[in-house]
Amino acid sequence: MPLLQMKHICKSFSGVYANEDINLTVEKGEIHALLGENGAGKTTLMNILFGLYRADSGEIFWKDQLANFTSPKEAIAAGVGMVQQHFSLVNKMTVLDNVILNLKGNAFVLNRAAARARLVELAEKYGLQVNPDALICELSVGEQQRVEILKALYRNVELLILDEPTGVLTPQETTQFFDVLRNLKNEGYGIIIITHRMSEIMAISDRVTILRDGKQVADLVTAETNPGELSAYMIGRELNESYNIEETPKAENMLVMKHVSNDHKHHGRHKIEAIDLVIRKGEILGIAGVEGNGQKELAEVITGIQKKKSGQIILDGQDMAGKTIRERYEAGISYISEDRLSDSLITGMNIIDNLLLRDYKKLPFAKHSIVNRSAMRKNAKEKMQQYQVRASGKSGVDTQVRLLSGGNQQKLIIARELTDSAKLIIASQPTRGLDIGATEFVRQQLINQRNAGKAVMLISADLEEIMALSDRIAVLFGGKIVGVLSREEATVQKIGLLMGGISEEEEK
Amino acid sequence: MQNEKNRTRAVTDVIIILVLTILTGTILIIACGANPADAYALFFRGIFGTKAGFTEIFVKACPLILTGLGCAVVYRTGFFNIGAEGQFYVGAMITTIIALNLTAVPGILRLILALAAGFVAGGLWALIAAVFKAKFNISEIIVTIMLNYIAINFLGYAVRSFLMDPAGNVPQSAKIDEAAQLKVLIPATRFHAGILIAVACVFVVWFFLDKTTMGYELRAVGLNKRGSACNGISVMKNIVLSAFLSGGLSAVAGGIEVLATQKKLLEGISANCGYTAVLIALVAFNHPIGVLIVAVLYSAMQVGASSMQRQMGVPSSIVNILIGVVVVLILARELFHKIKIRNNKEKGGRA
Repeated sequence: MPLLQMKHICKSFSGVYANEDINLTVEKGEIHALLGENGAGKTTLMNILFGLYRADSGEIFWKDQLANFTSPKEAIAAGVGMVQQHFSLVNKMTVLDNVILNLKGNAFVLNRAAARARLVELAEKYGLQVNPDALICELSVGEQQRVEILKALYRNVELLILDEPTGVLTPQETTQFFDVLRNLKNEGYGIIIITHRMSEIMAISDRVTILRDGKQVADLVTAETNPGELSAYMIGRELNESYNIEETPKAENMLVMKHVSNDHKHHGRHKIEAIDLVIRKGEILGIAGVEGNGQKELAEVITGIQKKKSGQIILDGQDMAGKTIRERYEAGISYISEDRLSDSLITGMNIIDNLLLRDYKKLPFAKHSIVNRSAMRKNAKEKMQQYQVRASGKSGVDTQVRLLSGGNQQKLIIARELTDSAKLIIASQPTRGLDIGATEFVRQQLINQRNAGKAVMLISADLEEIMALSDRIAVLFGGKIVGVLSREEATVQKIGLLMGGISEEEEK
Repeated sequence: MQNEKNRTRAVTDVIIILVLTILTGTILIIACGANPADAYALFFRGIFGTKAGFTEIFVKACPLILTGLGCAVVYRTGFFNIGAEGQFYVGAMITTIIALNLTAVPGILRLILALAAGFVAGGLWALIAAVFKAKFNISEIIVTIMLNYIAINFLGYAVRSFLMDPAGNVPQSAKIDEAAQLKVLIPATRFHAGILIAVACVFVVWFFLDKTTMGYELRAVGLNKRGSACNGISVMKNIVLSAFLSGGLSAVAGGIEVLATQKKLLEGISANCGYTAVLIALVAFNHPIGVLIVAVLYSAMQVGASSMQRQMGVPSSIVNILIGVVVVLILARELFHKIKIRNNKEKGGRA
């Protein structure tokens, strides 16, 4: 009797399938890996199982009983526990109090002594050592994860869902963590682990289900497969290469980064370490990698939003050390952020104002600090036309940016950032969430910049995009550049392995 | 289409709020045994009946306009300054000191100097909170409220010690000599030159916010700090600038109250206008022209109510209750729209 069976699960968001006819079976004492790119539908599927979303159609059988959970509470009561990517712990409470928080059997007066005894017993049994009296905020991320798992075990779950559990762990912590998983497996727990790291799947899982674009593309026994096959299943799509890419000389360097590291101990940032990169004039350098491996930090260190800790950044022969964000923009660094709503736009302002976030102080838009509305309006009208920005309704350039569609918002950013004086364009996830038309438009704009002899850094989680546009591809993993491939030598498989943290030597 | 919908919605909102307010007022008037028709007649006669009554509206509105402007400027950057009251007192104190002591300087110049010094002092007083916010991330709300206590009580201390009128025995300063006073412009009323300063400030602030690059930055920072910073706009500079302006404007309100209405410094001189200002800015959606209109309407209600109370014994507290009702309804309406937006947002999203 399988522990869990999910049959023909479908779920769509505003007409787009996030899960399409997915089947998943997990046995007792099995570690089942769920593999796929960002947006492939892994987390959606697990949220359906855990009662956070309702499936549009399909059935879930829990121990052969039909069980479509309608809330996490129901799921937990039945024996399904989930550790989310972002923990749900109360920071200023102790480990013990977190574990017994909102427990069904709690009496009005808490019996902490009994709870502690059981917690300590569980912790020792599975190697999940943690001080029950420590405050959550004093613990390392790895320890917090242990608390999350203990929380689930304390509630007598039989199936544990782990969403990207190793993303926050150091290699040593990961090894320990895998020991814990093996203990649990031997005790008969079922485990579903969501991940995109091929090495971990090979090391820990018994079976693996691969999702791509919301569809189930393969169901494999781990022992009978290899990382190469996995990455081919995960990414393998036909590549579109119908862009107008011209021959460029690429003789001179536009951007040179020498051993650049960031100060990652603050604000929960990821680290980037000893980055050495060169982008030449007339070149698109693709930065491939799974999200959260330092992409945003790389972009922000170059644009000046984050301070670098060490190293050197040189743009067209000019050292950027000590230069502010605006000075770097004036020097020629343009930035299309992945967080367009929070970083690139001020959605409460209209199109006119958003188009001038960079240049509002310059002639003809302002003179002696007094703005020239008609020049600003004229600029907006021209840019809207040139970049095909469409605002629904009659307000035209006066439309608030929050009312525009994602594609039009992105076009607006591009209209602002792709100036004549730009030398380096950093485009981070520039086509995410855009429809096909807008995607093609944005990509062609980036290529046009390259064709005109500028440099483009294309940061994208979409490997198809990276491979279609880039002259060279650098892969970022764990904050380091783990490989740089030319367009000719780059294959989906090679990049996929590098993205999963396996260098070519290791594979052989 | 969107705009049209917004407009019809705004009109219905205003009508609903108006009807509910008048209804509440009528019930309260009937409950205290008066005839609502007579009471409303007296209310409006108080406002429009006499020259003195009508001009009194503007005398009352003057400090509210200035403190309201101060709040509006700073709320645009998302810095919640509750310190208009304290900044008002600091301005009143410094203006008094200059006006009383710089007797060597001739009248009109001394008046200008006194107000300018008050402006700077109030601005610096507000800056304390901005710096605390910037350096230590301490809530500006707490700091400005505490600074209010300090300023209010320091004024109480001052008028009993170094600022006390040597000729008298009461806790108040000596009288400002006539040369440095803001003159009454309409005889037989209290309509003074300071009101013109307040109205001028409305237009200066409007121009500053709407027509200058600094106003543009302020607006950008208030709407999205992270986005502003990523585009090279200094968030800190703008918070500090708006806090300074805000404190300055509130301080000028204090200065004018001393030089025009009271002609001396005394305790309780603000009549709590620094707190009312928060409401006025809120109801005016932080728009300078809106502040002018709301402050005048608010004062008109006060004037009408006191006429009602004098002649019919209907408590003027009714008006304060009604103002409370109006503000709550306006906020509730905002909340209602926000809930609607959130519901719409939750529908989409792909994990």
